Amino acid sequence: METRSDIDTTAAPHIRIDGVTIAYARPREKGAFVAVSEARLDIGRGTFVTVVGPSGCGKTSLLLAVAGLAQPASGRVLVNGQAVDGPGRGRAMVFQDFALMPWRTALENVRFGLELQRWSGEDLTERARRYVHLVGLDGFEQYYPHQLSGGMRQRVGIARALAVDPEILLLDEPFGSLDAQTREEMGNELLAIWEQDRKTALFVTHSIDEAVFLADRVVVMTTNPGRIAEILPVDLARPRTIDMLDSEPSLEVRRRIRALLMGGTKCLGVR
Amino acid sequence: MPRRALISTLSVLVFLGAWEIAPRLHLIDMAYTSQPSRVLAASLEAVRNAGFLHDLSVSFSEFAVGFALAVAMGVPLGLLLGVFPVMRYLADPVVMAIYSTPYLALLPILVVWLGIGMPSKMAAVFVGGVVPIVVNTMAGVRQVERCWVLAAQSFGGGKRDVLVKVILPASLPGVMIGTRLGLSRAVLGMVVAEMYVSQAGIGSEIMRYGSAFRIDYLLFYVLVISGFGFAATRSLRVLEQRLWTADK
Amino acid sequence: MKALWLGLLSFATILTLWEAAARLGVMNPFFTSQPSAIAATLGEEARSGELPRNITVSLGEFAAGYGAAVFIGIFLGVLAGRFRTFEYALDPFLWFLYSAPLVALFPIFIIWFGLGARPVIAIAFLLSVTPIAANTLSGIKGINPALVRAAKSFGAGESDLLWKVILPASVPMVIAGLRLGIGRALTGVVVGELFGATAGLGFSIAYYGGLLKTTNMLASLAVIAVLGVVCTQGLSAVEARLDSWRTGPGL
Repeated sequence: METRSDIDTTAAPHIRIDGVTIAYARPREKGAFVAVSEARLDIGRGTFVTVVGPSGCGKTSLLLAVAGLAQPASGRVLVNGQAVDGPGRGRAMVFQDFALMPWRTALENVRFGLELQRWSGEDLTERARRYVHLVGLDGFEQYYPHQLSGGMRQRVGIARALAVDPEILLLDEPFGSLDAQTREEMGNELLAIWEQDRKTALFVTHSIDEAVFLADRVVVMTTNPGRIAEILPVDLARPRTIDMLDSEPSLEVRRRIRALLMGGTKCLGVR
Repeated sequence: MPRRALISTLSVLVFLGAWEIAPRLHLIDMAYTSQPSRVLAASLEAVRNAGFLHDLSVSFSEFAVGFALAVAMGVPLGLLLGVFPVMRYLADPVVMAIYSTPYLALLPILVVWLGIGMPSKMAAVFVGGVVPIVVNTMAGVRQVERCWVLAAQSFGGGKRDVLVKVILPASLPGVMIGTRLGLSRAVLGMVVAEMYVSQAGIGSEIMRYGSAFRIDYLLFYVLVISGFGFAATRSLRVLEQRLWTADK
Repeated sequence: MKALWLGLLSFATILTLWEAAARLGVMNPFFTSQPSAIAATLGEEARSGELPRNITVSLGEFAAGYGAAVFIGIFLGVLAGRFRTFEYALDPFLWFLYSAPLVALFPIFIIWFGLGARPVIAIAFLLSVTPIAANTLSGIKGINPALVRAAKSFGAGESDLLWKVILPASVPMVIAGLRLGIGRALTGVVVGELFGATAGLGFSIAYYGGLLKTTNMLASLAVIAVLGVVCTQGLSAVEARLDSWRTGPGL
């Protein structure tokens, strides 16, 4: 078992969010709605970072900026030192509402990303099948999304993202539409899958427990305007088990996060 | 002006402009398409003509009688078919078959049966309007939730009460939709019947000017019909709103 | 299946009552004819080649007009769905085509194309292109934006988006539009033939109408009805098939 509590500042960060501000034009009012204000964050390779905060604090916008699906009004996102200006091969996303194509079977949905990114040199269906197996959906390949439960649909979503072998995994409240029990299960399974090759992961949630359970570091965001209040390391060993949530270090982190979120914009040192 | 309205208006203006200018530039032969300016002139001319009012009244009365009959017979029939499941099963396929056929094909037969006067046109209006009314009233009845009926019965309501206090009000939306849909088909029935028989009314004027190659007058009458259909649909919608708010 | 049997039962009942009424003198067969006479006439016309000829002409006009409407309608609908500006520009014309009595424009088509098949094809086209374009447009606008976003996140370009997301997702609405278009195209063909043709099913109705031969008229009408039902039911079946992957909210 290993612990990871220091931020790896020696090597260049895998992802650098550099003073990013994201704003959306408001159709009927003057001025823009500032979703994220001057966010600064470095994410090391292979770390699992969660972003927690109330609705509307810009966590999804931040994720979209890393994905290349939202343009920052100012500042930039760097991946491997290169500025992000659109979606690309290295990053794959998992969505809260699953976003599966309803006319494709589970297997075909997993193939979807591979087709779009024009993978060649191997049989796409075979590759997709491997990932269906990885997420534990053997036997369900020919099922359509509407025939699958919420948890199963999200597994398809995860398989789809993993199939394109991204360096970075971006997850936007992936378990938000699931019931509490399924959520817990899926969290465990996600970590089990993640342990296998430790991709860099950025996971957005508004569940404090989930944020702490999954992460190496938790980024706490507050709203109005959306900004990063604090970044907290999680000093728990891996692989994680659910009882770790009751340990002292975990309780402390959760307390801190709660205080930050309840206290509103008690903005301390935006990093 | 909001962007959407602006672009739509511009698009129409460009079209009208091109239509007006193209014949002047000899790009197209005016005999085939006329021009907006000529249509306007013809419109002003036609309106002043005494015959116009006559045509209008003939068409309108054909429509009014035919459509009133369609509603008067269509709604009760639809209710009947909707309420009694047995009738529904038997009637469904027949109604569907009738709905899938071009009802205008019945025109010549109607003329054989009813002659070339107003009755055949009224019949055309009736046939056009009655089918959507029946179909949608039936659908409207089906929308009635069983639990409402049960609720009424639990308070001691008899068959008549259920019909009047639950089924009728609840199927009203269906009736309204059917009436609106039937309206356009009814108007079409009237116009085409008049075109076919060519005795009186707006449809006959359309045929007359058509064979005389006077597209300007022809378009005027087409616009009259469109305007009438539009006004009628609008009034129905207003009625719908009124009834709905009263209901809720 | 049950529906089919019930349907046949209904028709059988109606036909029997009709025949009986005519024979018993309750209805005057001159006006209403009777199923037996109609069947006999159909047989005659089939043998003499008249029926096949009429059907071929009408179907040909239908295929041409409806076929063109499918291509152009879907094309316009996709364009309008993709480019907001084009949608706004097309809107007033679609609205007009939907609400105006297009059949009244038929004399204009006769002026342009003369008598015969061409104005009929034109009116069939005009009548059916409207619901097809409108429904295609509606289908595309109604696409779940989450799906588009997901595809973009995997790097989908315009072409991929169109073929792998937008078109498959809008299929139900497009098919509904195609179904509506069939009825209207058929109407166009029949009515057009009433006025301007020299052959075809609609023409035969008008022709025999002039001769007051109700039986022949009803015979042609029956054929038209069957065609209408077959086409509409056919497309409804296709629609139902495609519904197998459709679902409620939340994918």
